[in-house]
Amino acid sequence: MPGVDAPARAYPWTALWVLVLAGVLAMALAVAVGSVPLGAADLWAVFTGGGNELQRDLIWSLRAPRALAAFATGGLLALAGALMQVLLRNPLADPYVLGLSGGAAVGALGAMLLGAGAVLVSGSAFAGALLSTLLVFGLARGGGSWTPTRLLLTGVVVAAGWSAVISFLLTMSPAERLPGMLYWLMGDLSHAGAPGWAWLVLVVAVAAMLPLGRPLNVLARGPLQAAALGVAVRPLETSVYVLASLVTAVAVTTAGSVGFVGLIVPHLLRLVLGNDQRLILPASALAGGILLTLADTLARILLAPQQLPVGVITALLGVPVFLFLLYRSR
Amino acid sequence: MVARMGQWTVFMVLIALLPLAAMAAPRCVEDDVGREVCLERPAQRIVALSPGAVELLFSAGAGEQVVGAVSFSDEPPAARKVPRVGSYKRLDLEAILALKPDLVIAWRSGNPAAQIEQLERLGLTVYYSEPVRFEMIGTTLERFSRLAGTEQLGEPVAEQFRAGIDALRQRHGDAKPVTVFYQVWEEPLMTVNDRHLISEAIRLCGGVNVFGGLPALTPRIGREAVLGADPEVIIAGGMGEDNPAWLDPWREFGSLTAVRRDNLFFVPPSTLQRPTPRMLEGTRRLCKHLEQARARR
Amino acid sequence: MSVLETRELIIDVPGRVSGRALSLRIEPGQRWGILGPNGAGKTTLLHTLAGLRAPRSGQVLLDGKPLSQWRRRQVAQRLAVVFQERQDGFPATVLETALIGRHPFLPPWRMETAADLEQARNALRLLDLSHLEPRLVSTLSGGERQRLALATALAQQPALWLADEPTNHLDLHHQVAVMRLLEQQSQQGAGLCLCLHDLNLAARWCDRVLLLYPDGELCHGPADAMLILEALEKLYRQRLMVTEINGTRVFLPG
Repeated sequence: MPGVDAPARAYPWTALWVLVLAGVLAMALAVAVGSVPLGAADLWAVFTGGGNELQRDLIWSLRAPRALAAFATGGLLALAGALMQVLLRNPLADPYVLGLSGGAAVGALGAMLLGAGAVLVSGSAFAGALLSTLLVFGLARGGGSWTPTRLLLTGVVVAAGWSAVISFLLTMSPAERLPGMLYWLMGDLSHAGAPGWAWLVLVVAVAAMLPLGRPLNVLARGPLQAAALGVAVRPLETSVYVLASLVTAVAVTTAGSVGFVGLIVPHLLRLVLGNDQRLILPASALAGGILLTLADTLARILLAPQQLPVGVITALLGVPVFLFLLYRSR
Repeated sequence: MVARMGQWTVFMVLIALLPLAAMAAPRCVEDDVGREVCLERPAQRIVALSPGAVELLFSAGAGEQVVGAVSFSDEPPAARKVPRVGSYKRLDLEAILALKPDLVIAWRSGNPAAQIEQLERLGLTVYYSEPVRFEMIGTTLERFSRLAGTEQLGEPVAEQFRAGIDALRQRHGDAKPVTVFYQVWEEPLMTVNDRHLISEAIRLCGGVNVFGGLPALTPRIGREAVLGADPEVIIAGGMGEDNPAWLDPWREFGSLTAVRRDNLFFVPPSTLQRPTPRMLEGTRRLCKHLEQARARR
Repeated sequence: MSVLETRELIIDVPGRVSGRALSLRIEPGQRWGILGPNGAGKTTLLHTLAGLRAPRSGQVLLDGKPLSQWRRRQVAQRLAVVFQERQDGFPATVLETALIGRHPFLPPWRMETAADLEQARNALRLLDLSHLEPRLVSTLSGGERQRLALATALAQQPALWLADEPTNHLDLHHQVAVMRLLEQQSQQGAGLCLCLHDLNLAARWCDRVLLLYPDGELCHGPADAMLILEALEKLYRQRLMVTEINGTRVFLPG
């Protein structure tokens, strides 16, 4: 029976090294290309401390911070997606399934409508994301305990509520504010300033998740089986939920609600690498970073000097690749 | 003497009757999509479906007759008291009908076409307005005043506007070209191409819009493209009429000629971004800034 | 070796009166069979014994200490549960599945060692699954999955087995092989507690039997004393016939 055997994973760590290498190449590409062409010699000059002021500005002030922000955001989203899928034991879950991006969007758009600046928009998005997280968690708990199904259902309904509020905000907005709002909703990295925070959160989150990889493998077999195998199910689920929410909130705050990365990247990796969370979680972070870095590079150069929102590219890239792999894998 | 008195009387009577005659004959103008719009008598109840049209009607002396306007119609201040009929992209058809307008000024590229067509089917007279050239601002003022019967008030305004623009053209049209980047919006970073009225203002002042050739009317671009184009002058609107904060992010890029020569200028957005007579004021400021830039060469 | 004990235990079946309290000890080497009709609470009892479900009253003690005071990980080092229903939402291979039986013994940062892998492979071999190692669980038959669940528990090397219908979905050959394997485990000192719906498996393989009635009544004791025609007919509300083959009682519906 061809195709029934799980993909070979004799060298699981090789996969991670390949992804690290691909990540470096993606970053290099993102720094090398843009609407102003720079030759290899120019790039080398800038990297060795030379180059003229324009070239240094292009590389160090524009391309490098943006590529770093893209990588961190993609990594955060894919990591959050992988975690949510295990937590909810539902392969359709993504970082936004629990209404988190809706809460963030309402926060961000509300701030934009009031004419707030970038810092306030980000802060407001973060607050909205956390508010939504608490709301969903509190409601799903209800009087008793929460189950993944209850959490999922609560999240989906809360998300629907947010999207109605988003439509309302868009309707109420003056024409000139609309492009900014729409770009935020589709995900956009052009104003992702200092990526330091996102990177810090990404590294800490991956490190925090590594020892949870095996318990999550066990949790994927269902909570009863996991408990029987010695996993403290409720504390594990709660910490995964909190961590995934925080990670998503940081990503959304950096780049708006970029779609598809969190859903597609963990799936692609599962199709290729199997389902060991110890491998999938760090691999998701790397592959998500690579995907978003490449997508953002395309968004910058495809119609240069005009810019596209990166969310459009992730969807246009991700959806066909995903469908193709799914079709082939049966 | 008697004969002369008689003549005089006849003349006076004729003068007195002139407005009546004007009222009796249908007033017809062509609108911006080339259709003929006719009214039996001067419009008494006008509904305007874009903030720009409201402002133009007030400038044309027809402010009294404006009985309905869309949200954000805040210029001139008197316009803020006009009852609202929805936003320009979602019209409240019932509210419009209830106002019993004898003239509706629609915004061709802004209003939902289906709603405007429905208004026409309901028997309302619709004028499509889309002033995209300086020339059309003057024309629109004249047409609006004609439709509203306020030619005495509107035509001088149109004339004054044309004269002002012509003066600027004569003074700056042959000046040495200056490359200009005009920033419409900050997040996302947006500019205009040469089909846009703002670009016409830049040309009038002897400027060259560095992104004039892009296909979209208001293209969204990246900062890198601006660094690559290296304009001599950067002009930005902003959030509000006196907030030049959008200029600040550019200052960190020392490679930009505009930054080195301190050619970063703020022009209040409402004086350039709305096709109204106030564009004269905005264009004057623009021309002055480009002169400053030439002086700093 | 470990001992599982209940004291005045009343399981929590929603909407049922409490019935009789259960006090028993599962000693090393004992083979308990839990019998009862559908809905008598066999699975609930098993989960309560495993500490996965709180009792309505009373206590479950593992080696003299209440189960609730144990850490789950330490419980899992002594006690394995074979569930009747299994969830496999995410793809995993047969070998990976057997390997998670080693989870309770591994520190958080540690990968599985060669010894863990050996134990998992051995368990798969004993359950006749070696040839399926790289296969995805979702492609297995019902009987193969059942044996895989047993292999996972075997890799856990438990001192106590709590198994819910361990022969579910198994063909006759594998039924016997599995019961024989469990018997070997008990001979090596493990205590067994098996929910069974097949009287004849209990009669042949168990030395202690607990009868659970739908109304919460119960009785337990040595298999010989419990597997009496009248008691079983009352238990299942079904007329039965009994015969004896090679010294083992065989029950048939009458």
